[in-house]
Amino acid sequence: MERVQSSYESQDEPFEIGKEMYRGQQYSQIYYARLRLMRTLLYSLVSQWKPNSPVCTVLGLEEGKECVVVGTLFKNMKLKPCILDEYSKERSVVPLVKPHNFVDDDDYLVLEDESGRVKLGGNIIVPSVYVTGIVVAIHGKETGAGDFLVQEVLEAGLPPQIEFPIKSREDRYVLLVSGLSIGSSKSNPLQFQLLVDHITGHLGDEKEQSIASQIVHVVIAGNSVEIPRGLLNGQNLASKDLSKMAEPVKELDILLNQIAAGLPLDIMPGPCDPANFSLPQQALHRCLFPGSSVYNTFRSCTNPHCFELDGIRFLGTSGQNVDDLDKYSEAKDKLDFMERTLRWRHLAPTAPNTLGCYPYTDRDPFFIQNCPHVYFVGNQEKYDTRVIKGSEGQSVRLICVPKFSENGVAVMLNLRDLECHTLSFGTQFSP
Amino acid sequence: MSSVKGFYKQKKNPNTANKSSKSRKPPIHAATFGSNLAQPPALTSRNGNPDLQDEYSESESVLRQFDMNTVYGPCIGMTRLARWERAVNLGLNPPQEIERLLKSGNVQQESLWDSRI
Repeated sequence: MERVQSSYESQDEPFEIGKEMYRGQQYSQIYYARLRLMRTLLYSLVSQWKPNSPVCTVLGLEEGKECVVVGTLFKNMKLKPCILDEYSKERSVVPLVKPHNFVDDDDYLVLEDESGRVKLGGNIIVPSVYVTGIVVAIHGKETGAGDFLVQEVLEAGLPPQIEFPIKSREDRYVLLVSGLSIGSSKSNPLQFQLLVDHITGHLGDEKEQSIASQIVHVVIAGNSVEIPRGLLNGQNLASKDLSKMAEPVKELDILLNQIAAGLPLDIMPGPCDPANFSLPQQALHRCLFPGSSVYNTFRSCTNPHCFELDGIRFLGTSGQNVDDLDKYSEAKDKLDFMERTLRWRHLAPTAPNTLGCYPYTDRDPFFIQNCPHVYFVGNQEKYDTRVIKGSEGQSVRLICVPKFSENGVAVMLNLRDLECHTLSFGTQFSP
Repeated sequence: MSSVKGFYKQKKNPNTANKSSKSRKPPIHAATFGSNLAQPPALTSRNGNPDLQDEYSESESVLRQFDMNTVYGPCIGMTRLARWERAVNLGLNPPQEIERLLKSGNVQQESLWDSRI
């Protein structure tokens, strides 16, 4: 039985920091680049959206005059943790934080451009939906109180999408998995070994093996290992502890080795992996994987990760962007957050405000220029998927990839029609 | 300071004192904030060199105006040339003269605020 092949092209280049150097720049630069990029885009849409309204800057607003303003949103949040709070003398002024996020009824939005800022009023724009850092166009007028009464909001919408390649009749699968957490108490080594054996075709009968042979690519979306942090106490490590630290990575290498010997494998760093903290996270170093990295099927990638497989465009993160939106805004489910990031055309709007981010000066790498066909986010509570449609015929498959270590679920995506199903692995014997 | 002067004999090292005032002097043309013009008329009307003519050259003055122009975004943490190139990439048509001056080589490559904040 032969494994099906497909062509792969990495598009991680915008996320590679490469030779960029820190020269004392501040985050104002990335907001400037974002506003510039998005404003050009929104201005082109505004001429169709509100052809009769004048376009103003925040400084050019006049009381009672209806107009369109483009700017960056800032959400003023009472509950947002502030580094200065611990120095404040007045304790318990801020109410207790709700268990799941920092959203409060008193939050309000402010629109900013380089000329000034104005508070947004009215009940059209709901603060709990938005977060700091999104660029939108707003139609409304200034009221006597100096607020801007919002009548309508225009988001950039889904970006243009390359055409979906001609449908082939054969099934080809991409396997998405995240949160392996090797080395944590939750992870079950047998469970992952079963997954590896399934992918490589060492499990089941001929029918099962033929399905396994149709897996053309594996993507590991972050949090592959859990380094025992208890050992890190600021002191120099004893040599026996050093080897204990490296143990999870070694184990991961052994398992990835088996996958890479059979089929192409992308590994993305996640918040728990030994990579840099701030987005875009750079690829895990090859020397962490002495066994797997000798295969040219093994690719260590950035987070966010973007690639094309047989002309189908994938975009994914290890989950930080959606998790941060969950802390600072509200939605029905995680897929809603994902959909919003696409419609706002920004992968991580809360970076650099509440999400670590490299201080770019000349561009904003999280600006989504091309619409992916598949958009996945790793390390979520549960598996979830949905297809969203854009106004220009775009169609995107959204996938929340669950944590494998918690429920033993990996996601199979069929490249033929972008349908998804899960693979569950269990190691309990029923009595 | 002036009342204290009588009590203490102040010794000034003419070299260091002069040097620090030269480099620390904030420019007066900070009034360009919010301007949408590439060359704000308020500055050019004062001959492009509003204060203390002897402290920096004509070309430095032009470059400082470029630094202070908010249309091209923040200038901290990047070289003048990098900022000029960003402006080109964003389609803002920055003046050609700036590039010519920067590539001629005998002007300061870092922005006005470099190593001052």
